[in-house]
Amino acid sequence: MKILVLGMNHRTAPVEIRERFAVDATGPVLKKLVDRPEISEATLISTCNRVELVVTAENADAAQHVLYDFFARELGEGEGPSAGQLEEVTYLREGGQAVEHVFRVASAIDSMVVGEPQILGQVKDAYREATEAGVCGAVLARLFQRAFATAKRVKNETGISQRPVSVARVAVDLAKQIFERLDDKSALLIGAGDMIEAALVALHDHGLGERRVANRTAANAQALADRFGGSAHALDEIDRLLPDSDVVLTCVGGDEPILTRERVERSLVARRGRPFFLIDIGVPRNVDPAVHEIDSAYLYDLDDLQEVAAANEEERRRESERAERIIYEEREQFEGWMVALQAVPTIRDLRDRAEAIRRGEIDRFAGRLGLSAGQVETLEQLTNSIVNKLMHQPISRLRDETDREAGLMRLEEARALFGLDGDDPEREPGE
Amino acid sequence: MYALQYVSAALYLAAGVGAVLGLSLPAPKVLSGARWGLAMGVAAQFCAFATLHRLTPAPSLTDLGYALSLMTWLAAGVTVFLVSRISLPGFVPPVAFVAFLATFGAMLHRPEAAVVDVGTTIPHAHVLLASAGLAALGLAGLADFFFLIEHRALKQRRKVPRKLPMPSLEALDRVNRVTLAVGFPLLSLGVITGGLWLHARMGSYFGGSLHETWMLIAWMIYLGLFALRFAGHQGARQAAASAVAGFTFLLAAVVGAGVVS
Repeated sequence: MKILVLGMNHRTAPVEIRERFAVDATGPVLKKLVDRPEISEATLISTCNRVELVVTAENADAAQHVLYDFFARELGEGEGPSAGQLEEVTYLREGGQAVEHVFRVASAIDSMVVGEPQILGQVKDAYREATEAGVCGAVLARLFQRAFATAKRVKNETGISQRPVSVARVAVDLAKQIFERLDDKSALLIGAGDMIEAALVALHDHGLGERRVANRTAANAQALADRFGGSAHALDEIDRLLPDSDVVLTCVGGDEPILTRERVERSLVARRGRPFFLIDIGVPRNVDPAVHEIDSAYLYDLDDLQEVAAANEEERRRESERAERIIYEEREQFEGWMVALQAVPTIRDLRDRAEAIRRGEIDRFAGRLGLSAGQVETLEQLTNSIVNKLMHQPISRLRDETDREAGLMRLEEARALFGLDGDDPEREPGE
Repeated sequence: MYALQYVSAALYLAAGVGAVLGLSLPAPKVLSGARWGLAMGVAAQFCAFATLHRLTPAPSLTDLGYALSLMTWLAAGVTVFLVSRISLPGFVPPVAFVAFLATFGAMLHRPEAAVVDVGTTIPHAHVLLASAGLAALGLAGLADFFFLIEHRALKQRRKVPRKLPMPSLEALDRVNRVTLAVGFPLLSLGVITGGLWLHARMGSYFGGSLHETWMLIAWMIYLGLFALRFAGHQGARQAAASAVAGFTFLLAAVVGAGVVS
């Protein structure tokens, strides 16, 4: 049994191609795939940055052809590249590499933004849909359970997802360094453009309490306020709003700063020293840089936020090296489990063979020696005990081998030594 | 009782090491374990103090080593409470290590005999109240030490991300307010009971010793800080700087003067 991954992601295919292969409801598609005799189990991970088929198959070569064909015909619905052209925009992973790839994807090491938290939820959804469709067996179930456990280890044991890398998230992170909680804080947003909206989304996601939008164009302020459950105000209301605002975001046009040092200082008196967090993402800047010199005011402009974001990204990259080590450990463990799984038929054959010999010999001698029922029972116990003791060591060795190559070699040797493949010249007919 | 003291010292040390590891790795489970270690250390030391009177000779709380040990036990107890209510990463290691040193130090300098009983509970009331006040003000100083680091980092717009997570400025400021509001009245009661103790022994409320003089100055400094903080609309950073300076002076007044005398 082999695990295979065929997929495309943001590195191998542009969005124009990826979007042709994206699938919303994966269940029916996967059912079609496992209807093919070459494929045993299947899962489909389809997000905005990747489309990947994860399957198990007895014959990897045959499964590859099926996967390329299925990718082109079923996922691409014939509109994307052909099966031949697909090789240029996709990647194929097999065995241990496929296992490692799934672990890397779930742990967000393979993501466009390393450490981003959404991918784990998307992989979980993909696994759930495959399970509900009845196309996910024991091997993929184990693979995905280990992938989730690996992602959890990576999250807990490295700092890969701790540092925000978008400007809006950096702003929220800084706000959390200043304020213990955001749900009882109020924000004043001066402007109503895209940048303000992005920052507002991030603050909204982190449970910011009150939101007030002040803008030159009242209609734009009202539209943004309506979307996020806030209130709209005119720019000349700023002095009234400032003392009650803990977080102030500004991004409006104009050559002169809207918030001067004097204006902020006046507000701080009314705030009785409670701190202000000001985020100025306007170009040219909307807040006088001298405001940062005030003790209780913390002013960050776009460059500051971008520099923090870049430093955080670098830190995430460093942390991803530690994550790779964890993934390697988990891959080794999973491969050990796969070898043990492959040993099951051999162990079963070995037990059956020993039992057949034991049973044959008892039948032969019990009649010849004229043993009573009690003596036959004793003989049964004796031979059972001998067989179990003889088989214990080889079975343990087969079951406990964790190295994939050594394990497979040992399985082959065991089958040859005990004549389990039916080519044993000593084997009696009918056994 | 001595065994319990050693157990609590070991738990404090383990909690401190665990907290450092938990913060630097970072490993949230190790950090959580460190908090539990600190809580168990506090519980073990409580049992140790509760059985103090069974020893022969029974050591006195008025001994400087035991008073410091009591102070750090109270501080550790308050820290356990605070970290369960407020996000205060970075708070456990210093408290745990100081508690370890004080507890272990008290064991190294065990008095040969009990201090002569003065026939009143005032000395113990003085030690308990003053220790509780010092513990609270010590935590205020620690919180504000963190506050100043955090404030400086934010003002410098530090580009390199920090390895250790820090509590928010607001949380630290809240710790400062609460501990100052609780600690100063306790310290005041400690000073008053100290005067009463002196009066019972020497017939005077003020003896002019180094310890008494420094303590009185420290108390007056804290009176000023208390008034500025709660009546004078002092800003958070000034309050933090004042609290750190105030506690440094107070520590010098208690430990420094105690050691010199």
